[in-house]
Amino acid sequence: MRVIAILMITTNRLVENLDPRAKIVSFLAIILCIILTPITRYKDFELYFLLILSLTFFSETTVGQIFKRTCVLIPFILAMALFVPFLKEGQVWGYLNVGYWKFAVTYEGAWMFLNVMVKSGLSILLFVLASSTTTFPDFLKGLDMLRAPRLLIMLTSFMYRYIFVLIEEARRLIRARDMRYFGRRYKEQFLVVGYMVGGLFIRTFERAERIYSAMVLRGFSGEIPCVKRFRLSYKDFLFTAAIFILLTGIVSGLIYKIGCIKIPDARVWIGL
Amino acid sequence: MDRIIKVHNLNYRYPDGTVGLKDVNFEVVAGETMVIIGANGTGKSTLFMNLMGVLDGTGRIEINGIVLNRSNLKEIRRGMGMVFQSPDDQLFCPTVMDDVSFGPANLGWSSEGIITASQKALLLVGLEGYGARTSYHLSFGEKKRAAIATILSMNPNILLLDEPTSGLDPRSTSKFVNILYTLKAQGKTLLIVTHDIFLAQEVADRVLVFSEEKRPIAVGGYKEILADTELLLKNNLVHQHRHRHDALIHEHEHRHGYLHEH
Repeated sequence: MRVIAILMITTNRLVENLDPRAKIVSFLAIILCIILTPITRYKDFELYFLLILSLTFFSETTVGQIFKRTCVLIPFILAMALFVPFLKEGQVWGYLNVGYWKFAVTYEGAWMFLNVMVKSGLSILLFVLASSTTTFPDFLKGLDMLRAPRLLIMLTSFMYRYIFVLIEEARRLIRARDMRYFGRRYKEQFLVVGYMVGGLFIRTFERAERIYSAMVLRGFSGEIPCVKRFRLSYKDFLFTAAIFILLTGIVSGLIYKIGCIKIPDARVWIGL
Repeated sequence: MDRIIKVHNLNYRYPDGTVGLKDVNFEVVAGETMVIIGANGTGKSTLFMNLMGVLDGTGRIEINGIVLNRSNLKEIRRGMGMVFQSPDDQLFCPTVMDDVSFGPANLGWSSEGIITASQKALLLVGLEGYGARTSYHLSFGEKKRAAIATILSMNPNILLLDEPTSGLDPRSTSKFVNILYTLKAQGKTLLIVTHDIFLAQEVADRVLVFSEEKRPIAVGGYKEILADTELLLKNNLVHQHRHRHDALIHEHEHRHGYLHEH
């Protein structure tokens, strides 16, 4: 019991405590495998799902939280993929009657819809798990240490830092307008919105100039030097290696074959 | 006495032709705290931008014995740091630690040196343990202190502080004044732009008054300058106002935060 308790404590925050580089590389590899696997190999997707689910058990985030957050993002994918079964040309599978209109659903379209939904659904699950276990600054730091383009990281980092400041400024402008607007002269409101957008742009521009000055005064010359605060440990290597081995097993069909081996009286094993 | 900053005949015009600074002359002694006071728009912040080489005025600026020009800006900026009026302009990195370590990292220090200096700076401003926090989530007072830490981590011997106490509540102001006392005790040269007479009274060794003609009109010890009511009135640093003491309503010049006798 004591060993199990210790094991539970040490693995409870395993994903959170990993170096962001290990997480980025492993998660990216999983997403790549998900995307490149043909949809006809549906058993593989079950295994990918189990893999993501097992990763969740090694983090502080609960499965419920992950699914809740995923559900927020799924409608966006659904909105994009919804028309695919009707637009993709091919063998007609059936018809959908909406009032006077009759829409043909093709086999190819239905497969493509399934393809988009399953792959993006799994990718979103993994993305949600990644964002729940890694802070955004750590994620950026990880990307930087993996030698991702510095300019891209700098822009993303500024966006992350100032998006809330901008939203706050926009809110203040809207509030100021609302306090002096009493619901008349509707047409003029477009002009007012134009002024507000222009004002916001000028403020942003001026702020950008001041920020640049602040950077230059602290020695900025085009590159942001990276202060190494992360160190790869054996846990990171083990985690990454385990993920790669599992992915190789799934992609090669080895894990599926192992699952199909019939061992007498090993019902649980067969059930997997 | 070692004069660490010498400004001679400094003039600056904005691109649209507006005068920013006119015939500015003054000197700062090493280790002293000079508070520059003046009404809004008198060129105090413009002076700082010229001292840091962000704006390019005419005249002669000598800092740490080096005459400021385009070629030695980096050298000048190694020994002199400026804290902007708005901390949101100063704190541009995702976390406080990233911001505080930005300067030392650009100076080419080792990772250990950067982390030690950053932690020391955060400790000095009372923000130890705030390294991983996002700057956006800090209170205004904390942001101001984090902003000063971004400069302290570079260990400059001259600090330029632009309106350091504006927008701060009394407790945050008091914390800030404590930080300034510590810096004074460390022998740093401080140049503080403000129109907060209370701050000038608290920390200044000497006070430089900027007039609405965009040039210094008086310089001297803080007691001497702050006692010159006529000078302060003329330069919009104190104003006449009415106020009430129970039944008595009377009018006199008012200095915000400055003790006055009735």
